[in-house]
Amino acid sequence: MVLLRSFEAALLRQPKPGFQLLSRGEEAIAVGICAALQRKDPFLCSGRSIGPALARGVPPGGLLAELIGKDGGPNRGRAGRAHVSMPSVGLFGAHGVVGGNLTVAAGVALAQQQLGTGAVALCLFGDGACGSGTLHETLNIAALWRLPLVLACDNNGYAVSTAVRDAIAAPRLTDLAAPFGIPASAVDGTDVDAVAAAVGEAVEGARAGRGPWFLELQCARMAPHSTLTREERPPAEVEELRGHDPITLYEKRLRAEGILSDALWAGLMAEVDAEVAEAERFALAAVWPDPEAAMLDV
Amino acid sequence: MSRLFFREALCRAMAEEMERDSRVILMGQDIAAHGGSYAETRGLFERFGPARVRNTPVAEAVTVGLAAGAAAAGLRPLAFITYLDFLMLGLDALVNYAAKLRFKSAGQLTSPMVVKATAGAKGQGPTHAQSLEPWLMNVPGLTVLAPSTAGDAYGMLKTALRAPGPVVFIDHKKLFPRGGSVPDTEELVPVGSAAIRREGKHLTIVAHSYMSVLALEAATALAAEGIEAEVIDLRSLAPIDWETLTTSARRTGHALFVEEGQVVCGVGAELAFGLRERLSSLRVARLGAKRAPVAPSPVLESFIVPDAKDIEQSARDLLLANVKNGTHRTGKEET
Ligand SMILES: Cc1ncc(C[n+]2csc(CCOP(=O)(O)OP(=O)(O)O)c2C)c(N)n1
Ligand SMILES: [Mg+2]
Repeated sequence: MVLLRSFEAALLRQPKPGFQLLSRGEEAIAVGICAALQRKDPFLCSGRSIGPALARGVPPGGLLAELIGKDGGPNRGRAGRAHVSMPSVGLFGAHGVVGGNLTVAAGVALAQQQLGTGAVALCLFGDGACGSGTLHETLNIAALWRLPLVLACDNNGYAVSTAVRDAIAAPRLTDLAAPFGIPASAVDGTDVDAVAAAVGEAVEGARAGRGPWFLELQCARMAPHSTLTREERPPAEVEELRGHDPITLYEKRLRAEGILSDALWAGLMAEVDAEVAEAERFALAAVWPDPEAAMLDV
Repeated sequence: MSRLFFREALCRAMAEEMERDSRVILMGQDIAAHGGSYAETRGLFERFGPARVRNTPVAEAVTVGLAAGAAAAGLRPLAFITYLDFLMLGLDALVNYAAKLRFKSAGQLTSPMVVKATAGAKGQGPTHAQSLEPWLMNVPGLTVLAPSTAGDAYGMLKTALRAPGPVVFIDHKKLFPRGGSVPDTEELVPVGSAAIRREGKHLTIVAHSYMSVLALEAATALAAEGIEAEVIDLRSLAPIDWETLTTSARRTGHALFVEEGQVVCGVGAELAFGLRERLSSLRVARLGAKRAPVAPSPVLESFIVPDAKDIEQSARDLLLANVKNGTHRTGKEET
């Protein structure tokens, strides 16, 4: 989680194309999910992909290069944050179209079922996607066909400026799965252990052939929607979000439980600093893509 | 005349039309208190209230469907699609319902809706960058407009909001922050009228939306070499102003068609064919994106998407090919 946080701070120091969607405040979701997945389980996520990509094991240097548009990353400057993928580490791919990965994830799950891989597809999507038809179509067919699919909704409270309560009529997002008979649970998405436990239960259920599972992971988006969007939430609300910082919460708990000492924490920080510094060096040294390379793989 | 940003010109057009006609309503993501993804609806929510400026969930299919149905039943909705790429999610209601409604109901129903969608590459990668105008031009029953100046943004959005519809109004990310003069009195730009932005006798460059801006830049550079390019801003992609195009191309004998999107079955392909039917000896060339999706990497994006230098070079090549063929450079006598 600390690596994700520091990585994004490093990213903000770089000139980068377009805009970035940061995972600040949502690290426990990315890390908890990836802790519960096996390497072979295809992980699909939304365009808020930086935390999920790092947590899944995309090398930080390569990811930074990708986000800047250089050639050293897994997608050679063609994906950016919206479409980053690295199937070799289990990141089947981000998709910048809201809800766009849901139907695709059902297909990925179908392939696991049909091919007998024993793997489970997990799709992480935002609360914003809950208002789109693709979610409901996906839930229906996943239930009908008992697909090995976990639908994990990152409910950070907002889709750009629109609060969940203004976009989704259902009182609880987990209600959306009920008509299809899909088991659903809401989890504190700022508690990395809780996320890992819930995702583990869902994934293992799906792996055992019990069909799809819906998870609502509740958290707070600590940064504005994107690096180009201004913060519109009242300062008091933003201030209040600090209380939901998954890193601080976990740090406090580990200290209280006597697991984390000052020395351990300092060591961890030093490790992360070194890793991020190395990533920056890697990304800065990476070459720009050869323009003609745009014509490859079309 | 006032100087307004492109986005402000849009806003003024919406405000005036909403004032004029209480049936005009706006629907889209983040258009209410947020003021629009490109700040183009700033102030409208405060002025017209939540019934007429409606935030929608991230749900393009139902947003376009709502507009189509509401229009058929008496409203004049303007639906916002933040990225033209996402109009794909709403194409069913637009193409299978709205565009065919007048025809299939034998004129009993129409769907006077406007979809405003933003095209163009600006560092955001493969699904936030596409220029899909030709897909829409291909559909009978759709009007497709694409202004490039603040004045036209104003005059054409007003036209769209009064048109029998359905209209797709395409703008471009790189146009919003550009300034331009907008008439102080109400001036509508009729559907199907292209604008000659610069006169010239050697070749006609036809472009639309942001490519018109680049075509003008290219024409300035070409003038320094003694090449006088006439620049036509299409403005209306469906219907097409064949008269303006034909008159210009007849005079110059050469036409270069520039678009930001793919050239295969593109705007240029359609225009070149249509003009050659009218002017059989016209020399034509087209320029558009390379045959690849748009990448977010600045190096790749600028390779894929045409810029002013590419336009200049295409213009030179078109004229030079003529010299090589032993015909006169201006090609005047060809017609
Ligand atoms: C189909 C589609 N419509 C609109 C957008 C523009 N957009 C990008 S992110 C976003 C908000 C999505 O909200 P949510 O799903 O809650 O994800 P979050 O940004 O909160 O992670 C929107 C509307 C998009 N990418 N795709
Ligand atoms: Mg959200």
